[in-house]
Amino acid sequence: MKTPARKEYHHPPLIRLTHWVNALALLIMITSGLRIYNASPLFGFTFPDAITFGGWLAGARMWHFFGMWLFAVNGVVYVLYNILSKHGRRTTLFRKSDVPGVFPMILYYLRIRKEHPPQQKYNALQKLAYTIVPVLALGGIMSGISIYWPVQFSGIASLFGGYDTARVWHFIFMSALALFFAGHLLMVAIAGWDNFLSMITGWRRFPPSAKPRSEKNV
Amino acid sequence: MKSKKLTSASDLKNLDFSRQRRKLLKLSPVLFLAGCDLAPSGKTESFLRKFQQFNDWVQSKVFDINKLSPEYADSKLTLEDGFRLNSYETDEPEVDLEGWRLTVEGLVSKPGEYSLEQIAALPKRVMNTRHVCVEGWSMVVKWGGTPLHEFLKHVGADTDAKFVAVESADDYYTSYDMPSALHPQTLLCYEAYGKSLTLGHGAPLRITMPTKLGYKSAKWIDKLVVTNDKWGGYWEDQGYDWFAGI
Repeated sequence: MKTPARKEYHHPPLIRLTHWVNALALLIMITSGLRIYNASPLFGFTFPDAITFGGWLAGARMWHFFGMWLFAVNGVVYVLYNILSKHGRRTTLFRKSDVPGVFPMILYYLRIRKEHPPQQKYNALQKLAYTIVPVLALGGIMSGISIYWPVQFSGIASLFGGYDTARVWHFIFMSALALFFAGHLLMVAIAGWDNFLSMITGWRRFPPSAKPRSEKNV
Repeated sequence: MKSKKLTSASDLKNLDFSRQRRKLLKLSPVLFLAGCDLAPSGKTESFLRKFQQFNDWVQSKVFDINKLSPEYADSKLTLEDGFRLNSYETDEPEVDLEGWRLTVEGLVSKPGEYSLEQIAALPKRVMNTRHVCVEGWSMVVKWGGTPLHEFLKHVGADTDAKFVAVESADDYYTSYDMPSALHPQTLLCYEAYGKSLTLGHGAPLRITMPTKLGYKSAKWIDKLVVTNDKWGGYWEDQGYDWFAGI
């Protein structure tokens, strides 16, 4: 006897909206940022033009300083929603009670543990990642302010060790966010189509055979 | 350039010549961009330029005339051999150092030509401040010169005017909002590291403005205009932000 496909409502509209706006903003910020980096490389290398955006320094700056508003305003809305709504506190924010779940998940990902530990919508490691990423974004924004306004906000700039060092920090935060971005895309690819669709429609569909709550959501 | 007052036919000729040269110079980034599709163009560019004006507005609101660019101890200075040159066309334009005068025009009660001696006779400020290039690099230089607000007072400038614009011997030009022009660290600079400016660094007189990006610190200036008209700037007219505050 076949049981019907099961559906769960996973992503409220505001989460879906901020998710995709953020994806676009992060893409603009990283690619235009690499073009700006190339104008005066911090390290002994430059990035190929093909992965940069903006065409030339002034164009990249136009994009970067448009994207920064998109990134920051959207990020503030997302974080406030997660903190203020029950949804975010319950499903996404990493809390003390998630600590015991971290180690078993690491063992599972390392293939030492065979069975997927029981989880709610997100497992402990995901919650950790989704809670750290906004902190990294804040670091990107604050170090960015230090480079954009090293005089008007010299206090913030000195928190990052001054203008020149803030450039390095900005690069580090960008790299960390890019790494998350790449890891996220990989996990989405592994988790499959139903999971991907849920970030567009809000609904996560499970095949009839699947056990409740043992599936991976990304 | 709309606001330029022409006094003679030869002025007109010179203006025409310099305009043509500017046009040609402006082509260089275009040529450099040939084949690159990602530079903003068309509707995208006009949207981004409007957004840039919004950012300029934000910058003008964030700008605090009492907020000083940090000044550093001599031990933090960038060594003199690291004092970089960054010019858009030439490092050493033809400047008649002997006959040099700063032409002052516009909304001032004492327009005319001012010699370096007259400018240097005004109060002097020496400061070790960070010069931040739009490309990202920076250096801490010991600058010396006359605060622009002292000179503006000297020539009887209307400080309620919106802008101060400068032109350079190499046809470079840029302009500033009045609050930034009046900032205590905005200098008519004639010294670096305690010595007269070298030609490469803008002799005999340049602007030093540690509250803005480096392209606002025009070298080899020979004209200063107080005005309510927008003058834009060499790089600004091509897509760089006009306020350029840091």
